[in-house]
Amino acid sequence: MIKKLVSHFEEGFLSLLLVSMTLLVFAEVVARFGFNAGIHWAQEATLLMAAWFVLFGASYGVKVGAHIGVDVFVKMLPANTHRFFTLLAIVLCLIYCGLFVYGSWIYLSKMKMIGIEMEDIPIPKWIPMSILVIGFVLLIVRFLQLGWKVVIGQAYGFHFADEAEESMEIAKGLKESSLGDIDTHSNPNKDKGDKS
Amino acid sequence: MTIAVLFITLFFCMFIGMPIAVALGLSSVATILMFSNDSLASVSLKLFEATSEHYTLLAIPFFILSSAFLSTGGVAKRLINFAVDTVGHIRGGLAMASVMACMLFAAVSGSSPATVAAIGTICIAGMVRSGYPQSFAAGVIANAGTLGILIPPSIVMLVYAAATEVSASRMFMAGFIPGLMMGLILMIAIYIVARIKGLPSQPFPGFRALARSGVIALGGMMLIFIVLGSIYGGIASPTEAAAVAAVYGYLIAVIGYRDIGPMKGIPWQKEGENYATAAARNTAQMLMAIPKSFNDPEVRKVLLDASKVSLMLLFIIANAMLFAHVLTTERIPHTIAESIIAWGLPAWGFLIVVNILLLIAGNFMEPSAIILIMAPILFPIAMQLGIDPIHLGIIMVVNMEIGMLTPPVGLNLFVTAGITGQNMIWVIKACLPWLCLLLGFLMLITYVPQISLFLPEYIDKLNGY
Repeated sequence: MIKKLVSHFEEGFLSLLLVSMTLLVFAEVVARFGFNAGIHWAQEATLLMAAWFVLFGASYGVKVGAHIGVDVFVKMLPANTHRFFTLLAIVLCLIYCGLFVYGSWIYLSKMKMIGIEMEDIPIPKWIPMSILVIGFVLLIVRFLQLGWKVVIGQAYGFHFADEAEESMEIAKGLKESSLGDIDTHSNPNKDKGDKS
Repeated sequence: MTIAVLFITLFFCMFIGMPIAVALGLSSVATILMFSNDSLASVSLKLFEATSEHYTLLAIPFFILSSAFLSTGGVAKRLINFAVDTVGHIRGGLAMASVMACMLFAAVSGSSPATVAAIGTICIAGMVRSGYPQSFAAGVIANAGTLGILIPPSIVMLVYAAATEVSASRMFMAGFIPGLMMGLILMIAIYIVARIKGLPSQPFPGFRALARSGVIALGGMMLIFIVLGSIYGGIASPTEAAAVAAVYGYLIAVIGYRDIGPMKGIPWQKEGENYATAAARNTAQMLMAIPKSFNDPEVRKVLLDASKVSLMLLFIIANAMLFAHVLTTERIPHTIAESIIAWGLPAWGFLIVVNILLLIAGNFMEPSAIILIMAPILFPIAMQLGIDPIHLGIIMVVNMEIGMLTPPVGLNLFVTAGITGQNMIWVIKACLPWLCLLLGFLMLITYVPQISLFLPEYIDKLNGY
């Protein structure tokens, strides 16, 4: 139940950020060409959203296996050796996250002390930058979860995104809808999206 | 010493199966901590800046979003119909049409495996039915599918631009002629084979049918015109063009073609409906469709898929920027460049080495990852040897194309094997003759820089630089 809620929140938040970035830049283009005006805070806001999108999304990426990596070699190893290397890799990932949590914490506390504001948007700079700490803490949580799965034997390695596999979805959809229907001249009205 | 630590940690981390982003980040941070005086706080700041100070990089999620909307089977079918009507009546026309459809779909979708899957599923079966050997059909499609990363707008090119800070617009201009050229080379080869083997041609459908399928396909193809037109014309930056493309992709997929989303399956004109009522009904439904799509499961899935790919790429790029930062501050490429010049290796010799290196790397890694690791190293060396950065970029992209056709990580091979139901060995054999063509093309691109540089220089001249 909570898991589902968290997933919904993560997915919703990421989609929302992506859509808002796109629409904001789109709106800026429309404003410039249509009304000869600009939105002066748009660029800074878009870039901040991008940072949140990436740093918040990194942990979600670990959860759903969206990251890419080289697993041809470890997959050739016997299962237990593979698991050992995966655990080692996860420990290294945790070190990486730990270093960044530590570093960004120091930076953020300094920023808060000095109290610098953003260039265009009047908020203190440390608030948007807090995603550094949030993102890497979430990343630690996800890596620990993955590590636990490897320990109890539910997983052997990182699940990496496979573009080839994803593309096969399109192929499957096409095969189901109509098997190789290339000749439309015999029945030209078949195409639904008739634009003429 | 610094070089050794950096690369040994990087490759060790990568080969034990760490995500590439983390491997890049960790090896860079480790090198910084060991060999320089930068604090962890400043490294964290660097990472934040890498994600939040590069406006050009935003073109990547936007293009991914637009292609996610348009990489559907429906768009593929429309483009194939148009291509078959255009060149299908020539000898071997169905194969040529598949190449053309691959080029168009590749430009719209920007993804090679998706192109092979979408075009291949329809075209291979169609070609086999018309009497083409299956291996011929599979080989053509697997190769034509690689054009996806060469024909602009291409995400791999944006990644190169991000890694080396060359202009993404110029990369898009440079890829255009090589992309068309490779398509033409494939078509000519097909024509020759078709003449020898006596492969069939389709009947010409007449100009009316051609115009009709052209108009239908235009919905998808307009995306290419909008993006390239605004970038080549200097009206918009790639980021802005990409945002417009994403909005356009949504509108075409949901409202124009109605392949996905709340208007799926609603016809433009019902049977026996007159134009006025159809127009009124469509307008009302379109206005309703936009708010409805926020809650539509298909639209949300497209958004989420695009988000996953984008955040994965952007996270690698952010870490790769740390890596590039280490390379520059430790002057690693300069050291390598100096020793290369000391050996007396000429520019053409260097390019051979680059090609071999990239072809090997292409066997194990994905294009964007290779570019992010190799470009910051190769770029300064190429600069010192007097090689144009844009030219180097195109060489790298063509190498990545070949990497998609070589085992063990050739994505296009997997997809082709999947859609034909044959094994990998069969697919590799089917691709081999066409792969040789691609290798020849790589030589051509490597040693005739004018192919890549003509268009960007010509457009510069038009703009009066």
